[in-house]
Amino acid sequence: MANRVAICAVAQTKFEACKRDVRTQGLLWEVVKDVRAQTGLDFGPGGIAGAVTVSDDVFDARTISDGAVTDLVGAHFGSEEKVAADGAQGVYYAAATVLSGHHDVVLLAGHCKESQPASRNMVTHLAFDPFYTRPVGLDYLCAAALQAQAYMARSGVSETQLAEVVVRARQWAARNPVAQETAAVTREEVLASPMIADPIREKFMYPVSDGAIAMILASETHARRLTDKPVWITGLGNCYDSFFLGERDLAGNFALERAAQRAYAMAGVSAPETAFDLAEIADQYAHQLPQYAEGLGLCPEGCGGRWLDEGGPDRQRVNRSGGMIAGNPLILGGLARVAEAVIQLRDEAGERQVAHAQRAVAQGATGPAGQLQTVVVLER
Amino acid sequence: MAEETSVPERIVSRQVLAIPQRFSTGPVMGRFLRELRDHKRIMANKCPKCGRHQLPPREVCAVCHVEATGWEELPPEGAIRDFDVVYYASPDPLTGETRQVPYVLCWVDLDGTQGDAPLWHLLNVENLAEVRRGVRVRVVFADERHGTTEDIRHFEIIREEASPGAGTGAES
Amino acid sequence: MSKNRNAAIIGSGMSEFSSHREDVNQPEMIHEAVIEALRDADIALEDVDCLLHGNMELFEMVHQPDMWHVLGDGARGKSGLRLTTGGTTGITLACAADNLVASGLHDVVLAIGFEKLQEGHTTGGITNMADPLWGRSLQTGALTGTGAQKVIDEFGEERAKLAAMKYRTIMDEHAMRNEKAHRRLRLERQYIKETADNSPPLVGELRMIHMCSQSDGACAVVFASEEKVRALGANPAWIVDHETVHREETMVFGSMLSTQRAAAERLFARAGIANPRGDIDVFEMYDPSAWWGVDWLRDFLLLEGDEHLKMIENDEIVLDGPFPVNPSGGVIASNPIGATALVRVAEAAMQVRGTAGAHQVSKPVRRALASGFGGTLWTVLMLLSKEKPERRVNTHG
Ligand SMILES: [Zn+2]
Repeated sequence: MANRVAICAVAQTKFEACKRDVRTQGLLWEVVKDVRAQTGLDFGPGGIAGAVTVSDDVFDARTISDGAVTDLVGAHFGSEEKVAADGAQGVYYAAATVLSGHHDVVLLAGHCKESQPASRNMVTHLAFDPFYTRPVGLDYLCAAALQAQAYMARSGVSETQLAEVVVRARQWAARNPVAQETAAVTREEVLASPMIADPIREKFMYPVSDGAIAMILASETHARRLTDKPVWITGLGNCYDSFFLGERDLAGNFALERAAQRAYAMAGVSAPETAFDLAEIADQYAHQLPQYAEGLGLCPEGCGGRWLDEGGPDRQRVNRSGGMIAGNPLILGGLARVAEAVIQLRDEAGERQVAHAQRAVAQGATGPAGQLQTVVVLER
Repeated sequence: MAEETSVPERIVSRQVLAIPQRFSTGPVMGRFLRELRDHKRIMANKCPKCGRHQLPPREVCAVCHVEATGWEELPPEGAIRDFDVVYYASPDPLTGETRQVPYVLCWVDLDGTQGDAPLWHLLNVENLAEVRRGVRVRVVFADERHGTTEDIRHFEIIREEASPGAGTGAES
Repeated sequence: MSKNRNAAIIGSGMSEFSSHREDVNQPEMIHEAVIEALRDADIALEDVDCLLHGNMELFEMVHQPDMWHVLGDGARGKSGLRLTTGGTTGITLACAADNLVASGLHDVVLAIGFEKLQEGHTTGGITNMADPLWGRSLQTGALTGTGAQKVIDEFGEERAKLAAMKYRTIMDEHAMRNEKAHRRLRLERQYIKETADNSPPLVGELRMIHMCSQSDGACAVVFASEEKVRALGANPAWIVDHETVHREETMVFGSMLSTQRAAAERLFARAGIANPRGDIDVFEMYDPSAWWGVDWLRDFLLLEGDEHLKMIENDEIVLDGPFPVNPSGGVIASNPIGATALVRVAEAAMQVRGTAGAHQVSKPVRRALASGFGGTLWTVLMLLSKEKPERRVNTHG
């Protein structure tokens, strides 16, 4: 591949359960303003040439949800294209617009207020087909519960281990200024939280979250002009699994393994267990931390339980951000993972900094039980 | 036994899908709605760079890429810039009820507006032949106001002989 | 920076378009288009390494429909992305396919646009594009009479109305030659005035006969890298360039530069097109109504005065004319919204590839232009060519 692409700036709002005092536009503007200030860029010729946005019409209750943000992303008489999926997919597409040579400098900006609909489960319920899976009441929570049952049985992961995942996530989240769930919890408190969808307890779930994220991506020449700490996107991969949950190996990682293979092949990564200084996993639910660690090749298939017991998350510096279980809106989960990887590779992670971080992997998931998986390899 | 037919019945599954929402208005649109509700005032915000008004107010000037931090009250009177006489009975998505037709929508340049910021609303008019560009209209505010754009009931055509006051909002 | 590598369209497919596709569900309808596109490109699903998917979720009330539609498009195990930008979605998918192939990330990309408008309420769905805090009680979907009023104000009622109906009739004549077209009305030129007068008014001078249809349908287009085009021995329509021009979220008419003209100026400047009518051989325009079709022709072709009306009055835009517009019959004939703008690209590519059959224009096609329309007066333009483009230095940053 002839061209290279780097992330040159990142901004995130504080993630919160309900940002009632600001509408989505105000939320997005905060981070757009921030990345513009970091890079000194304006929109237009010689500046930001185009925008890739991330939002969703059903979450926003608005047809053409990106129409609400045209002015904020500089697309008044300019270019904007919306990726309606997890924000890691936005990274994938924004990088492609630069690698293709179409744009030199691109703004990537995503927003979501999960607090706006009466229930996010009512939103994800609509992802199911109207004839077969909606009538049985599926939503992404129920799909994740089925996935958790299948995975925990196969990989020997216990409820207690999942409680430890949450305890650890809170400890790291407390060192991340944008994280939402930062209060310490004990294993016992997690295990005492109400059962929501067996085996998923309340504290095994990512909380309802509002927030926005923006990034600047640029070609090599422009990246070096915009920052002295460019973070290169060296690997990109994504993959769909099938739709019906009964047709899928819910305990496995069909899509994630393929997404990772593609990203690793592009980045020249052959031994993922040791290739990364840090990993950011989109653990919407606690069981997904070990499950997706398997899918990413951070531990052998079927060994997620042992990996947790042997301190895999600490050894491989997984989710120092606190992870998605500390709180990001669904469609920003993967984008927040990429954001944390960039912050780490720029040595700007403060108390949670991974020393001498050179290479990171970040993952995002879209759809029921992670039907669409995205993997991004980043290097300083 | 059902009779065999060459074309099998195509079953259609009918579902009504709705998700209740709670939209934050934020400091900008929120101020516009508060002024409308509490004081029957039409507040436009204003770009500090190019000076254009925005109606409804929005966070940023799309042209200058800066925060539209200024505020100005615009009078509840102006001239019709564009209009639509609607004959198609579409459902009001806020109520689900089919709208009575014909009705008239108009884009009104309130007096003193800088730039392209016409206020868009219904025009209450009996005789459709009176609806033309340039016609002077005024805002009629709702008696009960709740902090929505429905606090403006509609525009009405200004007539020289019409008695002033009486819910026109011009007195505020 | 220059374009990393060339991309071309090597095949396209469309489902049957109609007002009610109750004989198929959504994945089944998409499957029709995918199968036809793969056949047209003479490739197998295994040859595709990335799928793009787009539509508007609130029209059918399906969240992230690419998940369910894997059943019909075959995306399991493949890369993919979902992009949506309103009415422009289809052509945004085409731009994305070009970017993804040009980036080197993918060799063969299958872009799929669809809409099953009958499964929801289209005008209600479009009305929900208005800000929830203002405009939803006012907007009437995509219906407005201001486009008609603008042409009438400028050229007088009689000439304007005749031009709009002449345009409408030409589009129907084209649709009659396109077996995929949804509305084929057999309009006759001698009854233009009566046809308009007898058509129910929608908004102002916009009547039912002027307005685009509401269709169920899907479109799929295969994009391939230069290396793949050569390896497959494919018949390519090369992508020269594309341009996206959005606008802020207000619906304000008149007085400002149109996105149509802005997009055309930028794209033509980069592609070295000084005389659009001479340098481009055929144009597939996203014409939501006959009135907008008439008005935008002037902006897209960078014309002044009444040149665009003369093109219509002098039959220049007919299928066998010097500058054919919408040989397919255009959007007034078929409008499954999420597919519509991709159909424009597919039809433009068919003209370049010489595969349009009964609606193939008679002149040789070296370059074809396709447009998309959506949002609050947004435009996307894509330029295709028979000859492989030189990889140009990017001048738009
Ligand atoms: Zn300004």
